[in-house]
Amino acid sequence: MTASGIILADGRGQERRRDRGAAARLLRRLPLSAWLAAAILIAYVGTAALAPDISPFSPTEIFVGSPFQPPDNVYWLGTDNLGRDVLSRVLYGSRTILLMAGSAAAISAVLGGLIGMFLGYRPGIIDEICMRALEIVMSIPSIIFALLIVGIVGSSGPLVSVTVGLLAIPNVSRVMRAATQSVAAEDFIAAARARGETSLSIVLREILPNVAGTLIVEFSIRTGYAILFIGGLGFLGFGAAPPTPDWGLMVNEGRGAIDASIWPVAAPAICMAVLVTAVNLFTDGVIRILGPADTGRTA
Amino acid sequence: MRVDPIFRLIVTRMTLSFVSLFAVSLIIFASIALLPGDTAERILGRDATKQSLEALRLQLHLSDPAPVRYGRWLSGVVQGDFGRSLVADRPVLPYIESYLGRTLVLGGLALLVHIPLSIGLGLLAAAKRDGPVDIGMSIAVLIGMSVPEFVVGIFLVVFLATDLRLLPPLALIDQARSVWDALAMLILPIVTLNFAMTAYVVRQTRSSMIDVLRSDYVRMAQLRGLSRSRVLLVHALPNALAPAINAIALNASWLVGGIVVVEVVFNYPGLGRLLVDSIRFRDVPMIQGTALVLSATYIGVNLVADVLTLLLNPKLRTRLA
Repeated sequence: MTASGIILADGRGQERRRDRGAAARLLRRLPLSAWLAAAILIAYVGTAALAPDISPFSPTEIFVGSPFQPPDNVYWLGTDNLGRDVLSRVLYGSRTILLMAGSAAAISAVLGGLIGMFLGYRPGIIDEICMRALEIVMSIPSIIFALLIVGIVGSSGPLVSVTVGLLAIPNVSRVMRAATQSVAAEDFIAAARARGETSLSIVLREILPNVAGTLIVEFSIRTGYAILFIGGLGFLGFGAAPPTPDWGLMVNEGRGAIDASIWPVAAPAICMAVLVTAVNLFTDGVIRILGPADTGRTA
Repeated sequence: MRVDPIFRLIVTRMTLSFVSLFAVSLIIFASIALLPGDTAERILGRDATKQSLEALRLQLHLSDPAPVRYGRWLSGVVQGDFGRSLVADRPVLPYIESYLGRTLVLGGLALLVHIPLSIGLGLLAAAKRDGPVDIGMSIAVLIGMSVPEFVVGIFLVVFLATDLRLLPPLALIDQARSVWDALAMLILPIVTLNFAMTAYVVRQTRSSMIDVLRSDYVRMAQLRGLSRSRVLLVHALPNALAPAINAIALNASWLVGGIVVVEVVFNYPGLGRLLVDSIRFRDVPMIQGTALVLSATYIGVNLVADVLTLLLNPKLRTRLA
């Protein structure tokens, strides 16, 4: 009893030290494509952070040039229908999309992760009821509800983020619940319970480190979906409110006059496609080193 | 008497669908009725006159408590009465019927193209594993997963319809003079939808085919000297289909949402565009009706997909039984 107690007591420290070595080993196995994707993502984040410093013009100031100017050495990507500089709008747009999609994915990962871990840790009637409730929420087509909420309340960036984030909670919860269930049966969980730790502390200190990989994968997957989802809402005119430099909104505003200039549409479209490609490649790489995950398109 | 477990599973699944449908109707109603602020003012905007606000309150019975209005709306819907459109001042139901029909035609045709196309491409990728065809295909798959469908749609319109004048740019389906005219208008939306859907199924088919091709019985068939196409199609494919069917089922339900954006891109008069337009015009009865029917379609597609996956997948069947 005492002997096992000693092992349990310093078992956690041991685990953690071994984890650090394992993390380095895992990173070495990350495929080249994922490193490339990570570099692209860092470039996007850098662009978003430095947008005010590197943009040649204000993203919202109209008639800095005449409308629909083709690209030249002043307006590198030309100007849009209101004579705004497309390059500046695209650069600032990386800020909008990363903030919106990042916070949406964070909302679904944090809340979905917590719900999933608690449900997986504590099977029983509550778990059963919650799973049914989550299934019902998942049977609601997300885009329709995002449209309803944003359309009725009015376009605003934070509202879109929260809505998109909340709508993905069931997907994350299900995956995290399954991951937790396989951990919850382990001896060290029983040991923690025997030590008298509270459920909250067991979930956060014992389970979370063991399902963190799955959670990272989920966050990554949700970021990719959120970018496409928020882009789509922006395109439909239900994303960030004009004149925010939002890529989806830019595509929407530019497509009516695509014959006059293709750049106001092409630039944000290409930026969005490259960003999602990078997120997807990165996710694939992380899945490969952390084990399989359900990557079904359910959003 | 023993009840067939599959039958029981299907009944449970159907019950769940009905509960979902009910929950959806509640959420749709609540999202419009319970939001902060005065409903009539939100619909008409800030500069509405007192009279028009009063008239709207009367028309929507806004003085009644929300549960009463919900009950009235739901019992109307069950009897086929979705209320009157605020914009067109006509009953909502005929609009929903004709727009739903066109959405189902587009979605159905897209799915009809999707199933053989994506399984065929997955098969091809697995057969030519690691060759240039396979590598090219996995790049295409990645792009298909990453480019938003509205971007694909817009560029298809620009290049194929506007520049090359091969196809009509907008799906002005009502102006179609013949079936062929109508089909020509549907081509671009169908291509766009397939662009987004194909990737996932190709991936699933490819990886499960590669697994099956490694198994002993396939090697046995090859050693017996059967032709490669016979081994691939008759021996390997049926056993590799389950993950692909699963992926197609997921795509079918994705389609109900994805079609909203594609209908707007191509100006296709379907239920998705009707929903977007009625939200823009704040036409509450129309919003409620279209959102409910679209959600019901989604739930129905999910139900059918789940039951079909269950019936077609022997592994799942024995595991659940």
